[in-house]
Amino acid sequence: MSLSSRSFSDFDYEATLAACAAGDRAAMQRLYTQEGARLLGVVERIVRDRALAEDIVHDACVNIWTRAASFERTLGSARGWIYSVARNLALNAVRDGRREVAVDDETAAALDARASLEAWHDMADAFAWQDSAGRIGPCLEQLEPVRRNCILHAYVDGFSHGEIARRLDAPLGTVKAWIKRSLAALRECMA
Amino acid sequence: MNSKPPPGIPPDIHELAGEYVLGTLSAASRRGVEARLGTDAALRAAVQAWEDRLLPLAGLAEPVEPSPQLWRRVERSLDALDAVPRRAGRPKPWWRDWNNLALWRGLTAGGFATAALLAALLVTRLVEPPPVTRFMVVLVAPDDKAPGWVVQAGASRQIELIPLGAVDVPADKALQFWTKADNWSAPVSLGLVTPGQSLKVPAGQLPALQPNQLFELTLEPRSGSPTGRPTGPIRYIGRAVQVL
Repeated sequence: MSLSSRSFSDFDYEATLAACAAGDRAAMQRLYTQEGARLLGVVERIVRDRALAEDIVHDACVNIWTRAASFERTLGSARGWIYSVARNLALNAVRDGRREVAVDDETAAALDARASLEAWHDMADAFAWQDSAGRIGPCLEQLEPVRRNCILHAYVDGFSHGEIARRLDAPLGTVKAWIKRSLAALRECMA
Repeated sequence: MNSKPPPGIPPDIHELAGEYVLGTLSAASRRGVEARLGTDAALRAAVQAWEDRLLPLAGLAEPVEPSPQLWRRVERSLDALDAVPRRAGRPKPWWRDWNNLALWRGLTAGGFATAALLAALLVTRLVEPPPVTRFMVVLVAPDDKAPGWVVQAGASRQIELIPLGAVDVPADKALQFWTKADNWSAPVSLGLVTPGQSLKVPAGQLPALQPNQLFELTLEPRSGSPTGRPTGPIRYIGRAVQVL
């Protein structure tokens, strides 16, 4: 059976998480069967190591099981919360670990000084983002491709500002500004 | 406590929450946000809103089929946790008193003590989220996976190795405590261990703990490893699980 073939539209994440909070182990197993492969995919994309990714999904399951009662359903969706647990563990692992390379502000300013933003305007999409469902689709479409790529490299690949700047060969300060403004635009668009 | 936001943290709550969820904050800024989440309801709401806004993008990562062992590992960990009742928000339970080692020595070794200890760590976290990343490590025997020791690390700036029961060590041997993070070239000795007694190691002697960091107890000559590296068989081993 493929774990990833399951649709998430007809799975009751709120009820399953509530059952986990009540100590229902079968609910936790249903959640794992439902989301395990997708969670592992998200985490492995960020940490780029299969064994570490499995460790993090294990830790995420322990956290989900233990903290299910602390989920506040008035604040958001249960599925969003579950992914936040796994992504935060993965992001903490890469930010605390080997992949962080600091670029100081002075270097960033020097890079910015010779920035040529026009060069980026016609950049191609790096992600088949149109397939992503939900309200964010039309809002992503409103962003220039290069800014869209920044958002997607950050969320999907777990790239830091510095890593995105290197990947796009763009100045660090520019990447930071793009992301900041893109987030504001996305929030406004999705309001 | 330093209440001033670290440099580089965006002042606007939605901007900060957005960068946090997107993943572009530095390690220090991430920890700053996590420290605030426990007490700052507005920030918590802003973060959760961003989680939901960006969640569809998770679909851009191809699913990866987990190994069959992964769920079994999860089950073993949950078994340990389930041996005691867990409820957030109840009055301070007796087993939250970390410093009462006599209490721990009085408990029978094995699953219950481990589970109680894990639950204590985790429920402490639920009730009063402290501003420091916490880790728990259960050291188990490599052969039968019987838990023998627990490592506690968190706000106290020290690592504490706590025995769950008696351990037999030959008279001419000693147990030596080691740790190694993924990106270290070799394990570092945390000292010799007296069977049945806890060992406190000031965290200042070490780089910050990392998720997945290995801890182990090896059997060494009575005065410790002659080489500064583990030379004897591993008696207990475990890795750090981050508790958010």
